[in-house]
Amino acid sequence: MTPTDDAIVFRGLHKTFGRGNERVKVLDGVDLSVQRGQFVTVIGPSGCGKTTLLRLAAGLVEPDAGSVSLFGASVADATAEKRIGFVPQAPALLPWRTVLDNVLLPLQVNRKVPSSKAAPDAVELLTALGLGDALQRRPRELSGGMQQRVAIARAFVFDPPVLLMDEPFAAVDELTRESLRHSLLTIWQASGKTVLFVTHSVTEAVALSDVVVVMSANTHGIQRVIPIDLPRPRDDLVETTPEFLALERELRLELRKGSK
Amino acid sequence: MSRKPLRIGAWLPPAIALAVFVLLWQLYADHHPYVAPKLSKVLSELDSHPRLFARNAWTTLEEALVGAGAGMGVAFALALVMFYVRVIERALLPLAVVLNVTPLVAIAPALVVAFGFGMTPKYVIASLLVFFPFLVNALAGLRDVDPEALDLVATLHASRAEVLWRLRLPSSLPYLFAAGRICMPLSLVGAVVAEFVAAGEAKGLGTLVVTAASLGDLGTVYAAVVVLAVLGVAMFGAVVALQRLVLGRYRPSVGARRG
Ligand SMILES: Nc1ncnc2c1ncn2[C@@H]1O[C@H](COP(=O)(O)OP(=O)(O)OP(=O)(O)O)[C@@H](O)[C@H]1O
Ligand SMILES: [Mg+2]
Repeated sequence: MTPTDDAIVFRGLHKTFGRGNERVKVLDGVDLSVQRGQFVTVIGPSGCGKTTLLRLAAGLVEPDAGSVSLFGASVADATAEKRIGFVPQAPALLPWRTVLDNVLLPLQVNRKVPSSKAAPDAVELLTALGLGDALQRRPRELSGGMQQRVAIARAFVFDPPVLLMDEPFAAVDELTRESLRHSLLTIWQASGKTVLFVTHSVTEAVALSDVVVVMSANTHGIQRVIPIDLPRPRDDLVETTPEFLALERELRLELRKGSK
Repeated sequence: MSRKPLRIGAWLPPAIALAVFVLLWQLYADHHPYVAPKLSKVLSELDSHPRLFARNAWTTLEEALVGAGAGMGVAFALALVMFYVRVIERALLPLAVVLNVTPLVAIAPALVVAFGFGMTPKYVIASLLVFFPFLVNALAGLRDVDPEALDLVATLHASRAEVLWRLRLPSSLPYLFAAGRICMPLSLVGAVVAEFVAAGEAKGLGTLVVTAASLGDLGTVYAAVVVLAVLGVAMFGAVVALQRLVLGRYRPSVGARRG
């Protein structure tokens, strides 16, 4: 494996928030490499630092020690080149813009970066995500699940090689989650993007990922890395296979260990 | 999307209140003609001198609008500077607070000394009165941006100007309109007070009020007050109409802070 196969590399990361008595140690020596084209999920108990890890990769938080690199370059270079598609936990849509205009936002800022040849058409993208009839609607006219689809389209529209997603499906019901996860899998599969995805859902982690990273609140670091060797493309049927259920069980047990 | 027709429950209570008010006024005016003129007299003043009231209303309206425009414009520019340069905010905000609790109309005579009896002191007073409420609301509006949306554009390396144009200005619009609804009537107050002090120009509804009062002509005084009320309502209504046009129905409304 050559170094260039690594899309995202976290090396010796340390991060503490606050001062004095208020100090909260969040990450204490995190090393992780995400290979190009991989779908990697981070899971762990609340407060273990998943969001912090993602925000470090997005350049929204600076590490106290250690480094993050994307395709061998710094995070600052990656954002300047618009190489990161960020999907925050709340969809963060602009209420005064239509669905289509919200999706187009990344193309309208930082225009120094030439737009990608392979960039998908916004309308086609929204149609593929089931929002073809909602192009001119306002965010507040949409359900939570539809808003998340818009946020996903917005992350894909400028064709960034990396997607960082923070519990994007946390706020929707189980059925909508399932359908969102399959929409995401479908458009991701064709795109070849590298994804770092944070979730609390064991099923989601196994269904989506090539690799699941379990983080621990006790050690402030990575507890275990579990490869998910399920065939792709995956459909909803995969979630009923014995292999899938066995992986879910393994992951659940691992999580239980880390939350003591 | 059609607007709901005004239901009886909406207009009847204020209509009754108005009728009661008119009745009480009339009863009182019958016995105290030098305190409250009869409404018929007020109306006949308006009816017999429409030109006089229109001309003076126009002058006062112009003073208020120019003053409000200048005051809001300067306040917004200063809000931008204060937002981006913290030191300036820390230096100037306390001064602005002092300015706000000072009854600014008290400096009207000094302004007349400085600028004479022309329009300038009227513009200045009107703009001073709208300045602080607009400044405070503009600052609040520039700050009130969805933090996750800010994170998102930060990952795209958006420039400050892009963040201002794409996020902060649109987010601040509801605050600016709310401030406008407060500032429009305030500017009218400023214009009228300035006219009280500098009546020499012999124009404007404030001047008309002072002159008529000195002659004991209460009918004209109250007729001018009625015209001022109409102006105030019209200015307020214009802001609301513009807000509807610009913001449509998709923005949640935001309550303005009073300076
Ligand atoms: N900007 C900040 N300032 C101070 N403390 C912070 C900040 N960001 C995160 N923390 C703290 O760091 C710890 C880890 O937070 P983080 O959001 O990374 O956890 P998480 O694993 O994403 O949790 P959850 O699953 O609840 O989203 C928490 O204790 C949190 O309070
Ligand atoms: Mg989190």
